[in-house]
Amino acid sequence: MYSLYFDPGLGAMILQAAIAAVAGIILFSKSVMYKIKLLLGLSKKEDDLFDDINVDDSETENKPGSDQ
Amino acid sequence: MSTILRPKTNQVVTSKAIHSSSFRDPSGYVFTDNGVIKRVINPVYFDQYKQLKSSGFFKTLFKNELLVMHKELSASDDEIIIQPENIPFITYPYEWCFNQYKEAALLTLKLQKFCLEHQFSLKDASAFNITFHNGKAIFIDTLSFDFYQENTPWRAYKQFITHFLGPLVLAHFHGSEMLKLSNNFLDGIPVKTIASLLPFKTKLNPFLYSNIHLLAKFEDKHNEDYKGEAKAAELSKKGQLNIIESLYNYIKKLELKEPSEWGEYYNKTNYTDDAFVLKSTIINQWVASLNTKTLIDVGGNDGTFVRRIAATLQHALVCDIDNNAVDFNYKQIKKNKETYITPFVLDVLNPSAAIGFNNQERQSFIERIAAFKPDVTLALAVIHHMSLSGNVPFKNSAAFFASFSKHLIIEFPERDDSWVQRLLKSKGEFESYFDFYNLDNFIASYSSYYTIVEQKNIEGSKRTLFLLKRKDEYN
Repeated sequence: MYSLYFDPGLGAMILQAAIAAVAGIILFSKSVMYKIKLLLGLSKKEDDLFDDINVDDSETENKPGSDQ
Repeated sequence: MSTILRPKTNQVVTSKAIHSSSFRDPSGYVFTDNGVIKRVINPVYFDQYKQLKSSGFFKTLFKNELLVMHKELSASDDEIIIQPENIPFITYPYEWCFNQYKEAALLTLKLQKFCLEHQFSLKDASAFNITFHNGKAIFIDTLSFDFYQENTPWRAYKQFITHFLGPLVLAHFHGSEMLKLSNNFLDGIPVKTIASLLPFKTKLNPFLYSNIHLLAKFEDKHNEDYKGEAKAAELSKKGQLNIIESLYNYIKKLELKEPSEWGEYYNKTNYTDDAFVLKSTIINQWVASLNTKTLIDVGGNDGTFVRRIAATLQHALVCDIDNNAVDFNYKQIKKNKETYITPFVLDVLNPSAAIGFNNQERQSFIERIAAFKPDVTLALAVIHHMSLSGNVPFKNSAAFFASFSKHLIIEFPERDDSWVQRLLKSKGEFESYFDFYNLDNFIASYSSYYTIVEQKNIEGSKRTLFLLKRKDEYN
């Protein structure tokens, strides 16, 4: 159920399929480039001001000193 | 207490003091109960809420400090009431530096990916869903999560572009001032405007072409959706994840073109190292003597003086007009994992106004800082800018500071200070108009609002530090 209170934009909704295709190509070519660079030893360490996109979803909480 | 008739989905006449920005989403609303912020969830959102709670979705986001924590206070058939953790000072998107804006955008994408992996989807992607707390961006709209429907595009995609990608890309090409545009466009900068402001070469970039230029064209072509055709559009989850990830990768690498020279600021001061140390020692003593827990540093640059305060502060707000200085401060906060400093961009000569419907959706800086009531206000090397660049009379600046803080530590650079001289010279033939700028007039004007507790010259500079206490009649 979407209780939406703003206009998502018809153009934006239709276009997302095309944008997703472009994004897929970009992601694929970037990962190929990354592998080539890794192979040639050219990969640089990334700026670590921000994490990657994944949320830590692990059930275990690493509490130091906890023996339970 | 106000009595407001809610829309159809929530036809209750309530005596709760509904927050003036909380009327858009029928899923619930925010109200204040004796100064405490609480949130009502309407039956229309019960299914989502219960699923988010029981599946551990909320718990994971709390643990990762991505969503503001809340506790459930009560649950009936008509409403569930939750109480979110108190955030002492809310900053708005038009007050963020570049990297704060970037982090807010990345947080939104991160949450949408997490949502999709758990059969949910963000129903909106407004930049106002985020603020800064404990040194990081945090999502504050607990009711933004909705069930994901298979093969549907992201309904908040366009909103994400107008609230986040657009402003960030514009800032990349034209400078951080572009981020202030969100002050004029509460619902995001129109895609057409973003596209028209970008240089031609962005049309050759497949990412920017598809996400902005093509989007602008399509939106123009399909600007009327009276038949509800948007519902018919399809997109696989994998496709949507591709969009989210490519947006994340692009934004993560986005930088400002303008050089960040603020790191050099304190090498360019016009006083000696000894004077710098003396200045911070005096401030330290005064801050400690007042048992300070909360403060605001107005014109605080990159937070240098706040970091030199030895007392344990609960909360320090550091604002500056210069986006680069705030950015430099923010990077240090991230690097050092500092939780007590909230940096933001503010022009003291034009502080953020109250905006939105009824001028009540987003509070003015003055309203927010008056509610925050900092124990101490620091105003170092600010008064000459206010008085000489902004032509603000001493009496007016004194009234400004007195409106929100009981104690004021203010630095007064005298007429023969080189920076004051430079500002005076820039006045040309009107220089004599600024004859009022001297220590005696400063003391006389500020004395109508404040009592001078202590006054110290900073040896090795042409500056005097004052510790002022607001007079009782202004409390």
